[in-house]
Amino acid sequence: MTGRRKSGRSAAVVASTVVLALGGSIAAQTQPPRQAARPAPRAGTWEVGGGGAFVGGYDLGDRPANLSPNLSGGSNPFLLFDTSSDIGVAPGLQARLGFFVSRSLLVEGGLRYAKPELTIRATGDTEGAVPVSAVSEVSQYLVDGSAVWHFHNASFAGGRGVPFVVGGAGYLRELHEGNELIETGVEYHAGGGLKYWFGSAPRRFGLRGEAALSIRDGGIDFEEGRRTVPVASVTLVYIF
Amino acid sequence: MAGRRVLAAAALLILLTVPAGAYLKLGTRSGGSTITLRWREFPVRYFVTNDAVSGVSPQQFQAAVARAFGTWEAVETASTSSEFVGFTEAPPFDEDGMSVLGFLERSEQSRTLAATTFLIDTLDGRILESDIFFNSTFPWSTAEAGVTGRFDVESIAVHEIGHLLGLSHSALGETEMVSGGRRVIAAEAAMFPIAFSAGSIQDRTLTADDIAGISDIYGTTDFVREYGSISGRVTKNGTGVIGAHVTAFNPGTGKIVGGFSLSEDGRFTIAGLEPGPYLLRVEPLDDADIESFFDASLDVDVNFNVKFYERVVIVPRGGTAGNVEIRVTPR
Repeated sequence: MTGRRKSGRSAAVVASTVVLALGGSIAAQTQPPRQAARPAPRAGTWEVGGGGAFVGGYDLGDRPANLSPNLSGGSNPFLLFDTSSDIGVAPGLQARLGFFVSRSLLVEGGLRYAKPELTIRATGDTEGAVPVSAVSEVSQYLVDGSAVWHFHNASFAGGRGVPFVVGGAGYLRELHEGNELIETGVEYHAGGGLKYWFGSAPRRFGLRGEAALSIRDGGIDFEEGRRTVPVASVTLVYIF
Repeated sequence: MAGRRVLAAAALLILLTVPAGAYLKLGTRSGGSTITLRWREFPVRYFVTNDAVSGVSPQQFQAAVARAFGTWEAVETASTSSEFVGFTEAPPFDEDGMSVLGFLERSEQSRTLAATTFLIDTLDGRILESDIFFNSTFPWSTAEAGVTGRFDVESIAVHEIGHLLGLSHSALGETEMVSGGRRVIAAEAAMFPIAFSAGSIQDRTLTADDIAGISDIYGTTDFVREYGSISGRVTKNGTGVIGAHVTAFNPGTGKIVGGFSLSEDGRFTIAGLEPGPYLLRVEPLDDADIESFFDASLDVDVNFNVKFYERVVIVPRGGTAGNVEIRVTPR
């Protein structure tokens, strides 16, 4: 009796395995092959990454150094010299940590650091001073939160390449040279990019390339109002 | 007590100047150091002479002077006040314990519109009395919009009351030589030593330089906490330059505040600056008589080229941006 029961179980196990295998085969034939071969991150998956960024600069405007004219000689301001100022483009470093809420939606937080230069160019001095481009360094920190939506149905290269869009907001903290003067602001960003995974294991590395527009209100600026800064980044990511 | 008191020279003949100023503050030497002249008690109580001149009654004069005091008192970052006591027969320039403002006939001072004198305590720089005379040789007006050909009492009073409160002259201006002296082309300080043309009312309004100066002397707690300064040296061939005019330009606001290097090692301080980035420019003092600014004993160097500093200087909130060295070259 015992031996027959064992034989019977074995037969049943074999049978069900065949059914599952067949089922898998049927499913594989009705779905795009890449989804079966590259299981996407699931809800509960973490993504961590770090890499480099390229943060665009922006114009701070022109401002003349004027003296008030003696009105008996005309009403035009007396130009002592002229200036134009900007924040330069700068490379940066960034780190991000995210959590997949669903297979397509990642929520993440990040920190980006860049060190652009603040430049004031002085020209046209009334007493002939040699024009100068005076500079100082700015330490720029951005702490942000974002939502990332992945378009798995637009993936390519066997599911390794996945496009995404991203949007979020952040806190901008800029320290002038010497770290004694801090200017803060808020930041909003929206953009898109591509992730390319190395392999298909549940834990794997990938590259994330992204371009975005960063809209900033506050921070270093000589005028009231928002400004838009382009940002591009490449990040090495790892999911687990 | 009488030995401590000195009737100082007219403000147009400057006493000593204090390096730790937004531009120039009046000072006196005490125990080997220079201390700032300032009122210790407010309100400043003043009298007005009851002399009239053509076109200006004592009452009109007093009203214009009161507006000029009010202009300085309206500076939010400084704390000063004044009180008109009454009209008097006493002339300005008497050491009588009364601060008197009024007209005097001084035809021999053909280039002096007005002047300020002080009675000070030389031990602590306390101003005990200050008189202002307006030279009745010139034509005057108190009309709201000014009168062509007549000097505006209120504008000149703003300048002289700046002296009365302890400020010296600013060098933020450009002049040209004309027959009979210098003519102002442009200026950016009520405390520039040469007045705009007759009829102008421009100096009724204070500029950033004036405000920085008065705030540096009588700054409120908020001013001390919220504003900063720049200090450094102007050097030529490795040695300090005395009397160099250093200006700090804020490209965010367009405001200019000036200062001077006043010691042998070329040290300067520009105080009363809003926090932020600044561009520094240094020039020789060549737009007014040097004696309008400094004691004659100061060996002022005007033999160097105008220059911008190559670094942006960041003024912190409530602190000082130091270690600035501007190296100029001989002319």
